[in-house]
Amino acid sequence: MNGLAAAMSWQNFIFALIGCVLGTLIGVLPGLGPAAGTAILIPLTFRLDPTGALIMLSAIYYGAMYGGTITSVLINVPGEAASVVTCFDGHQMAKQGRGGTALGIAAIGSFVGGIAATIALVVVAPPLARVALSFGPPEFFALMLVGLGLVTSLAGRSLAAGLAMAVLGLLIAMVGIDPVRGAPRFTFGIPSLYDGVGFIPVVMGLFGVAEILLTIGAPTRQVIATKLTSLLPSREEWRRSWGAIGRGTGIGFFLGLIPGVGAIIPTFVAYVFEKRISKTPEHFGQGAIEGVAAPESANNAYANAAMIPLLTLGIPSSPTIAVLMGAFIVNGLTPGPFLFQERPDLVWAVIASFFLGNVLLLILNLPLVGLWARILHLPYQYVCVGTLLFCILGAYSLQQNVFDVGVMIVCGIIGYGMRKIDLPIAPLVLGLILGPFIEKSLRTSLEMSGGDFSIFYTRPLCLGLLVVSALILVASALRLAPAEVREASKN
Amino acid sequence: MRRGWQVACVCLLGIFVSALITSLGYSLTDALGPGPGFFPFWLSMIGMALTSGLLVQLVGGRIFADPAVEILPSRQVALQGGSVLIALTGAAAVLEPLGFRLTMLLFIAGLLLALGARSLLAIALTAVAGSFGVFHVFYYWLKVPLPIGALGI
Repeated sequence: MNGLAAAMSWQNFIFALIGCVLGTLIGVLPGLGPAAGTAILIPLTFRLDPTGALIMLSAIYYGAMYGGTITSVLINVPGEAASVVTCFDGHQMAKQGRGGTALGIAAIGSFVGGIAATIALVVVAPPLARVALSFGPPEFFALMLVGLGLVTSLAGRSLAAGLAMAVLGLLIAMVGIDPVRGAPRFTFGIPSLYDGVGFIPVVMGLFGVAEILLTIGAPTRQVIATKLTSLLPSREEWRRSWGAIGRGTGIGFFLGLIPGVGAIIPTFVAYVFEKRISKTPEHFGQGAIEGVAAPESANNAYANAAMIPLLTLGIPSSPTIAVLMGAFIVNGLTPGPFLFQERPDLVWAVIASFFLGNVLLLILNLPLVGLWARILHLPYQYVCVGTLLFCILGAYSLQQNVFDVGVMIVCGIIGYGMRKIDLPIAPLVLGLILGPFIEKSLRTSLEMSGGDFSIFYTRPLCLGLLVVSALILVASALRLAPAEVREASKN
Repeated sequence: MRRGWQVACVCLLGIFVSALITSLGYSLTDALGPGPGFFPFWLSMIGMALTSGLLVQLVGGRIFADPAVEILPSRQVALQGGSVLIALTGAAAVLEPLGFRLTMLLFIAGLLLALGARSLLAIALTAVAGSFGVFHVFYYWLKVPLPIGALGI
């Protein structure tokens, strides 16, 4: 209740409101995904207290999850990756003059999914955090390997490439001062490297600048002039949507608990499941309202549920959640079970703000749909320059160092190349953010045992987690192996 | 695509080899346990093994039959992309000497023109709002330190 009271203070209410609006704007602007968008807006929160900053950034995160729906429906371009599925039926509904209904049911489905997942978070998080308090450094080391393994194994077409990217991310995280001994590493005499390679400029470069470089010159899309006067579904559409919303919420919630799943998979699973159980599957792809209701509910349920591994275990499930984790760290907080003990006021205020944010998204976005549709008419050059302006601002303002802007530019070029040849980026980003924690856990464990590695297999929980991470990698290798054999036989 | 991956693997191999050599200059273990070089050393070894394996797969043709992907786009898009990178680099270079406001004014106006914007009024308004307006919001309202520059503007 104290958390709810804190979230409902005027100050935090306004932060949540600003976050929802900015997050939706980020979702609306094609090309600027939630990861880069959240990273770019972190400097907005520097002068806020940690509670306010995290409330705003969390609101930006799940606001962006909703905002992508608008472009999916109106111009058949997903504003962010998780909104791809909404294009299938949402855009068809817009072409049939039912764009308002599509956006309305998406907003309602997102609201239901978000609230349900947040209630489950309130129930699940405290006992999970209590269990995690019994973890020692070996267990945390193994748990982070599980998280990294899951993200890597789902990252792309080659397990070896995903692992190599994860290792590269871990290595980049080694630059700077050794956290245990205090000795400089990989600094090469460059003073700016003593603080390490900033995570936020890297994310801005890999996701923000790279995206701009990739989408320059893309043909402009026609915005469907859809009548937005009727945002509420008809009685028949309600009847068809409720089941889809419930099932989508369940799928999104459970997949959100698993690190590495990412935002796209819950939406696809929800859509495919809905189509499979439908009595009229031939309507999917032609404007079926269930084809919008299910993935949108799954999307927001996933977004809220993915906060559970972050808040209770300190494991980010996706690059966007990793950016949020970076925001915690920038504010001097380390997400995980100890945060529940040391700063319960902050944690519960942030969780309570999820309820508030979901309500605000529902109330705000339906009336503002017309505004978002107008923003889509902005010439791309202006969107591009505006995005880059905030990238420069964000990268510089972290440490008032031009070096970070240079890092962002270099990562933008690297990110462009990686996206062009389809090298996975998510493992690199997660390796970068988890690197210091993994190293600290490993070295602390070895110091506890006097250098004896048996500490990792004589503790049952640690051994279990290591076996899980090994199984994940083996399963991924087996899943990808038939694809490689097919490619080889094509050659 | 395969060529791109081969180049990427060679670059990665170079990075991992360099990291391995550098980490040997730090102590791997000391009296208290693993030293600063311990984790980077083993990461470099694992990275080298992974990248070498991937390179072997690529050379052997075990992965990728995708049609070739154009890394470099068409001439016009390449020019626009190049403009973005030059503008970003130039902005980073003069950000502290010139200050945020002047730098962003030139950055926004120049890049909009390079990307094909034609309305001079819209360009001017955007440049002023994006430089002076954004500076005012972030520097005075949000108290985010931004460079003023030698000219005091």
